[in-house]
Amino acid sequence: MIRTNVVRLLAPCALLMSLSACVSVTSAPAGPYKIGTATVTLGHEWSDISAIMFARPAKVRLLSMDGPLLNRLYVTDGLAPGEFMVKPTAKERPTPTYRAGMAPTELVEFVTDSVAALDYQRVETDNLRPAKVGSADGLRFDLKAKTKEGLDISGAAQVADVNGKLYVVLFLAPSEHYFAAELPEVETVLGSVKVG
Amino acid sequence: MPRVLRPRAKGLALLAAAVLAVAPAGAQPRAPHLRPTDTSDEGGIWALSEKAELAARQSVERNRDPALNAYVTGVVAKLAPEYQGDIRVYVMDRPFFNAQMAPNGYGEVWSGLLLRVQSEDELAFVLGHEVGHFAENHSIEAYRTLKARLGATMAVQFAVAAVAMGAAVNAGSAQGANDIMRAAGALNDLLYLGQLAAYFGYSRENEVEADGLGFKRAVAAGYDPAAGASLWRSLIAETGSSSFKRVRDQEARANIFSTHPVSSERVKALDDLAAKTPTKASTADRKAYRAVIRPHLAAWLKDDLRRRDYGQSLALIDRLAAEGEDQGLLTFYRAEAYRQRRGEGDLELARKAYAQAGTYPDAPVATWRTLGDLTLQAGDRPGAKAAYETYLARAPQAQDRWLVEASLKKLSEGSAT
Repeated sequence: MIRTNVVRLLAPCALLMSLSACVSVTSAPAGPYKIGTATVTLGHEWSDISAIMFARPAKVRLLSMDGPLLNRLYVTDGLAPGEFMVKPTAKERPTPTYRAGMAPTELVEFVTDSVAALDYQRVETDNLRPAKVGSADGLRFDLKAKTKEGLDISGAAQVADVNGKLYVVLFLAPSEHYFAAELPEVETVLGSVKVG
Repeated sequence: MPRVLRPRAKGLALLAAAVLAVAPAGAQPRAPHLRPTDTSDEGGIWALSEKAELAARQSVERNRDPALNAYVTGVVAKLAPEYQGDIRVYVMDRPFFNAQMAPNGYGEVWSGLLLRVQSEDELAFVLGHEVGHFAENHSIEAYRTLKARLGATMAVQFAVAAVAMGAAVNAGSAQGANDIMRAAGALNDLLYLGQLAAYFGYSRENEVEADGLGFKRAVAAGYDPAAGASLWRSLIAETGSSSFKRVRDQEARANIFSTHPVSSERVKALDDLAAKTPTKASTADRKAYRAVIRPHLAAWLKDDLRRRDYGQSLALIDRLAAEGEDQGLLTFYRAEAYRQRRGEGDLELARKAYAQAGTYPDAPVATWRTLGDLTLQAGDRPGAKAAYETYLARAPQAQDRWLVEASLKKLSEGSAT
């Protein structure tokens, strides 16, 4: 009876394994990198690990240099009202949703609450400042957070509402070494966002 | 990926529930200050509990406020003087109603519980309930129950390991495997929670017994006999206020591992016990308890809103506000709940609540910035200007000062919308 149960349990697992064989990490080469209607310019090659990220909506791309625990660069296509950066795992556990008409501070809240929804703890923002995405006004700010295990995380984020759609670039990395190591490249990426 | 895994999670949850659905084997009440031998089954559970305790001690979610932790430890000491030195309780900042006590005497009380009990009497009842499980060795009973079904449990473990490892192997890179494992973490969490449920998901008889033991310990320590039934009633009412039908359709649970709801029969049993015992006035006790949690009230309410069950949050805020204290803070978070929910008419409800919050001296300074935003959206330019100016006067060093100044400039130029 137990053997039968195990076989029943493992059959879908085998299907899952065969499906996941299609999933892979791809190269994001230096130069313009298109994410839907948005384009960023990468100063060096990154790995696009979007395909293996958990709870990632289709409009969110994730790049990394050393793996998602050491550096994460989220770049979104324009999020329409009702869309999110982190996909909810159940109706009873909703994640932050972009809504039409959000005030600037609500856009910052959308990003910080999304970071919290990714299981980071004690998320705080600092140094809110203006930014430009093409001709549109945007916001830049810094983040501090911790992993559940207590690792200090630093972040840099940029949000801009362009024609009713939200474009987000978010970089997260451990405060020790990894954040500063990629920050010059991230500044280049943040300044390069083009829409349309 | 999650779409594929979710049905498996449901199946495993059902299997885990089936594993636990057998009658418990008996265990003797525990003597104080005794440690089981390492080779006994209880010794094995202690070893696991010590690992969990180490993780809790090191967790970034642990609330390290010495005054709050000393207060909770003090309540436990009043309830269980014979176990002085045996029991250690940690406060964890997690926005769910939960308290638990492991067989080795390590316990956790979550901020979601501390936010929902309204007096030390209610806290004493729920901690007494957990001490009751600890003293009566209910987790050992549950473990022996689990052991009787070990074959089925092994099947669950086997399946989870296969899913996680198979997906990781196919990720294509060692780095990428981390996040695949994170995805599988939902299943591993299920197994972990299932195992915890083996220790903390007691039988219906154990839960009723622990209610009675919690009542007796709390009353013996001088607490209000009516507190237990009152707390369970509040929990049932809040569950019924959930924004989600699936939550409303469930019965309230005394903790997240509980397999048996806080039923009307359990409330009635506590009412019957309380009817035989003189009650005591508790208004002063509620004020004293609020003073204990006040330094954490804002952070815990913000955490609670991140659950995005605004129906439950609003019910909780109404209950907290009924005491007549912290009106500025509570009205601000009521406004935050409306603003974040953004249902039909919610932004107007939020605007009115922010305006009301601003009439109390303890309103957070963000009240006026958000009031300015919503008042501007409502087309009231003079009102928005007044709110923004109040914000800047009260928070001259605010990091968004330049943003508010820009809004004021547009208002004065007549271009703000």
